[in-house]
Amino acid sequence: MQHSSRNRELLKKAWPALVIVLGFASLGSAAQPPKSADFQTDIEEILTKRGCNDSHCHGGVKGRGGFKLSHNALVPHEDYYWIVKGGSYQVLSAEPKAPVNPRIDLKQPEKSLLLLKPTSLVAHAGGERFKVGSDDYVTILNWIRDGAPYGDEGAAKIERLEVSPSYVFLPPNGKQQLRIKGHFSDGREEDLTHRVLYESNNPDVAKVTPDGSVSAAGAGEAAVLIRNPGHIAYAQIGVFTPRLANYPHVPSRNFIDNYVFEKLRNLNIVPSQLSTDSEFLRRVCLDVTGTLPPPDRVREFLASRDPHKREKLVEILLNSPEYVDYWTFRFADLFRVGMGSQSAATVGMPWEWVRKSVATNKPYDQMARERIAAHGYNGPSRYFEHSGETAAFEKKMAEQFRVFWGRRLECAQCHNHPYEAWTQEQFWGLAAFFAKVTSTNWNVAQVIFDDPDGTEDNYGEGAKTSVSFVKATNPRTKKEVEPRFLDGRVLPQQARADLRMELAKWMTAHDNFAEASVNRMWGYFFARGIVNPVDDFRSGNPPTHPDLLAALGRDFREHGYDLKHLIRTIVNSRTYQLSSVPNKTNQHDEIDYSRALPRPLDAEVLLDSISILTGVPEVFEITSQKEMAPPGTRAIGLILPARYPSRFMDVYGRPFRDSVVERDLKPSLPQALDILVGSTYTKKLSREGGRLDRLLKSGRSDREIIEELFLAALSRMPSEEEVAGVEKLASRRSKQQAMEMLLWALISSREFAYNH
Amino acid sequence: MSCHCPGGHGSRRDFLRVGALSGLGISLSQYLELKAMTAPTSAKVQACILLWLDGGPSQVDTWDPKPKSAFKPISTNVAGIQISELFPKIARQMDKLAIIRSLHTEENNHGEATHYAATAHRPNPGMKFPSFGSIITKETGHRNNVPPYVQVMEMPKGKVYDEFFKAQFIGAQYDPMVIPNPNPLAGKGQIQNDVKAFDVPDLSLPESLSVDQLDDRRSLLKLVDQTYRRKVERAEFSSMDTFTGEAWKMILAPEVRKAFDLSQEPEKTREAYGRTGFGQSVLLARRLVESGSRFVTAGGYKGQAWDTHYDNDKLLRDTLGPSFDQTVSALIADLDQRGLLESTLIIAMGEFGRTADINLDRGRDHWCYCWSVLLGGGGIRCGQVVGASDEHGAYVADGGVSMGDVFATVYKAFGIDWTKEYMHPIGRPIKIANSIDDLTGTPIRELI
Repeated sequence: MQHSSRNRELLKKAWPALVIVLGFASLGSAAQPPKSADFQTDIEEILTKRGCNDSHCHGGVKGRGGFKLSHNALVPHEDYYWIVKGGSYQVLSAEPKAPVNPRIDLKQPEKSLLLLKPTSLVAHAGGERFKVGSDDYVTILNWIRDGAPYGDEGAAKIERLEVSPSYVFLPPNGKQQLRIKGHFSDGREEDLTHRVLYESNNPDVAKVTPDGSVSAAGAGEAAVLIRNPGHIAYAQIGVFTPRLANYPHVPSRNFIDNYVFEKLRNLNIVPSQLSTDSEFLRRVCLDVTGTLPPPDRVREFLASRDPHKREKLVEILLNSPEYVDYWTFRFADLFRVGMGSQSAATVGMPWEWVRKSVATNKPYDQMARERIAAHGYNGPSRYFEHSGETAAFEKKMAEQFRVFWGRRLECAQCHNHPYEAWTQEQFWGLAAFFAKVTSTNWNVAQVIFDDPDGTEDNYGEGAKTSVSFVKATNPRTKKEVEPRFLDGRVLPQQARADLRMELAKWMTAHDNFAEASVNRMWGYFFARGIVNPVDDFRSGNPPTHPDLLAALGRDFREHGYDLKHLIRTIVNSRTYQLSSVPNKTNQHDEIDYSRALPRPLDAEVLLDSISILTGVPEVFEITSQKEMAPPGTRAIGLILPARYPSRFMDVYGRPFRDSVVERDLKPSLPQALDILVGSTYTKKLSREGGRLDRLLKSGRSDREIIEELFLAALSRMPSEEEVAGVEKLASRRSKQQAMEMLLWALISSREFAYNH
Repeated sequence: MSCHCPGGHGSRRDFLRVGALSGLGISLSQYLELKAMTAPTSAKVQACILLWLDGGPSQVDTWDPKPKSAFKPISTNVAGIQISELFPKIARQMDKLAIIRSLHTEENNHGEATHYAATAHRPNPGMKFPSFGSIITKETGHRNNVPPYVQVMEMPKGKVYDEFFKAQFIGAQYDPMVIPNPNPLAGKGQIQNDVKAFDVPDLSLPESLSVDQLDDRRSLLKLVDQTYRRKVERAEFSSMDTFTGEAWKMILAPEVRKAFDLSQEPEKTREAYGRTGFGQSVLLARRLVESGSRFVTAGGYKGQAWDTHYDNDKLLRDTLGPSFDQTVSALIADLDQRGLLESTLIIAMGEFGRTADINLDRGRDHWCYCWSVLLGGGGIRCGQVVGASDEHGAYVADGGVSMGDVFATVYKAFGIDWTKEYMHPIGRPIKIANSIDDLTGTPIRELI
């Protein structure tokens, strides 16, 4: 300890104090422990910094060894209870399991479990977290000696953590010290660098010491998560390979390119070339309209010398009828049109609502509000239509957050979320907004409305009131919960006439809505979202390009949540138009958009593509019920897609809309079998009136037919090798057989089945 | 631990290895290479047949006779065990069977309860659970080229029910191969019409295609694909290559299609199993297990055939009871004679039981709080009853068992660690034997 001359003066006056100070100093490290700690700030800080409340340990859903802490000290009151009163934690009940022994000993503080366990003086599965006599030990010991005070609830709290630097680019042996500043509610700032918990989510790329020093390990990307009671922040780390001597100039076409290319420059990754016209044409047609371009259009586009042909193509596609078909299909999936609880009589209504919204380019926030707050007898309200197997109201609420905010609250239904900051109480506070949804049968049709009093009054002649949810009750505490926004505000009584509209307005005005929406749309044009999975926003899953995401969200909001504007912005960027062919610097990049990554086509789009290519439309029918979709209906045009048996679509991951739609697009054995023997791959090839049949009857030459098929299937001309291969086959077998085989090979190829 | 059956197994078991033809039919396994992949070699049981009794059979009229049933209890060939008079043939095979009378589950509606019976989890719109058939397939692996997990036929209530028996996040390769139902609605009463032949579209090459044509197709495909694949190498393409290789093997191996071909069975055998949808499905299940499948679900009833809300007694007496008695006793005898009984575990269940009291329509309604399941074959101690219901057959009186416990028992019979958990992509661990209140199921001690 250093003594300045000023201190010497003080020492003479206050030598008793010096003895005390020296006494503390002799116990060991640099920082002085505070004299009187309180639970909610100091003890919780230790429990967080030492990893005690980590989700793998006591902060997990069930706690450990009967001892439960809230993850990241989210609920200090409960933590205080378990430590000071004691008891074994049970997941599904608020009651502790006996015996109830306090984990601190006020009479003999050194004998407290809270000190014996983390120092391994008593067997502790978590090992030694700090040593006897360390600062943490002394803090806790003195706290117990002081009577284990909780602390002043009104005291200023940390509002946010500031991480600097928050973007770190390191060479392979680089190091960087992070600094963490805590901003308090009373305006104060404190350096928390040594008081937070650091974790790297990718130690193969970057490691971090307990004091926040980051060191590069291997090339790639990582995020360092920083945790302090109630707060999580992160720093993005990129470790790049040796600096390129001459990094080429990469032009930008819009703000998306600015963000993407800047990050690639920092990572020393060179983006691929621009896609060829063939690649771009096929890709953008599939992504914007779900439809392959016909051979004539391909020829036209390839031949055009117009320098603006790509932008003009985008405008044509955005205004095409196929655009409406395709995006109706996409949103019908997202909004689960045709899910189990909708009656066959009314399912056309939500589909029409989606279709009309897409066709009129309705602002997306309006669509969202129409769905969340749907009342009456109309399209969007069919989502709340009740039947015997209805989904509970809290599940309806959780789904809205997943769909519109990209956040999965469901885990918080039964217990505080295992690794996010949502508590069970918050979950039920949101569920309370949906607790008054009621329906009445008026002449068979179900009319949806909110019944604020929950009195189930008879609403007139012929009305049969059915399921009415009245109370939102926390299943653990068994107490009723009031409608409460995530920021803690309770919805005032006078605003409760239209509960769901209040929630809808708050949700759609929030930044989370704009960002989750652009992220989801982004995921339709690239192999992943900026946050991936697209509906899994959480602090442990940071966006790869947070500034880009924020900018897209702002742009979306500023343009009135216009979906066409968003799509246009995305597909006109150079980033979207990059080739899928890798170069030496980017062949391992899967997340930074240095090239287009091939994506398998969805089942419906693939089936439609085969139908279009072969010129044989698919027949959708249910033979046992003698029911058939109108001839010429495309797979993406089916209102109740899961209704029609289709081996092909099952094998390619057609989802059931009875739960949130997630498609598994990985290749599988059933797909391989179907390609070899499935009727889709065999029966459409030579059908009379189909494309091949017409081509053969037209008397065109081998070469012309081959070209036509390649253009129709792959939007490109065949190579000489490919032409020669087919012509050779045609000379050995009949022309028809050879062309049939070519058509089969085209639809079975990876190039056809993937968007690249 | 094995079933003690009178009469010799020895000679029949040998014939599988030696390859001699049995009197009942040509042994399929002699055509097939026995390729051990991931199966634990010390496992007792090699395959499982699930007899799916769609609709939920009444326990008091079948395996847990009670005074309020219209059917009298009859003695079986195991002292102290009585079952319903509906099953005289099965009663003579009780030494090869076991009954659980104290099964308690949590869902009382068809959809949710079927999901529960297939996965031991309550349905959740946010996540999907793998079925125990898929789990067993994943844990035990292929035996040869025959599809390891087959469902004979589509669930009668529709595709939504087929979903419950799939693999979900553990991978589509563990989905069952579902045989389509040639004639789902035809048949008298609850029983579906006889099935002359099962069509397996997944394995049937169109007749117009000859083998040399296939070769030409393959080489043309290679040509078309090569430019693209040279440009863009992806791990997915090589896994697709593996699957394509397996697919070719399955299609080109005649023994695989033969396994599905019921015309290979003598008339006598087809008669013995019963000329009904259920009878022929169970016969196919036996063929598939004999050929190397791991898990076969045999249905073949009309939708909710056992869901006797109306005229319970009449339906059981006239159609459901006799056909079940005939088919299941034929299966047990057949497996026994072929030496497959010790290595095949049989489960017969629906999605729940039924009420102990008759309703106003002379029927019984759904009841999940205490019901019965029939087990048999290998891997478990037969000739006994597990647990007991109360005097009416409505509530568990002793030895309550959960669906997770049933799964754990089956897993243990296969040599699978029943305490395993799989990580769902959402980040939540899923138990493979999920019991009530978030506990792990335990193998039923009386059985294994």
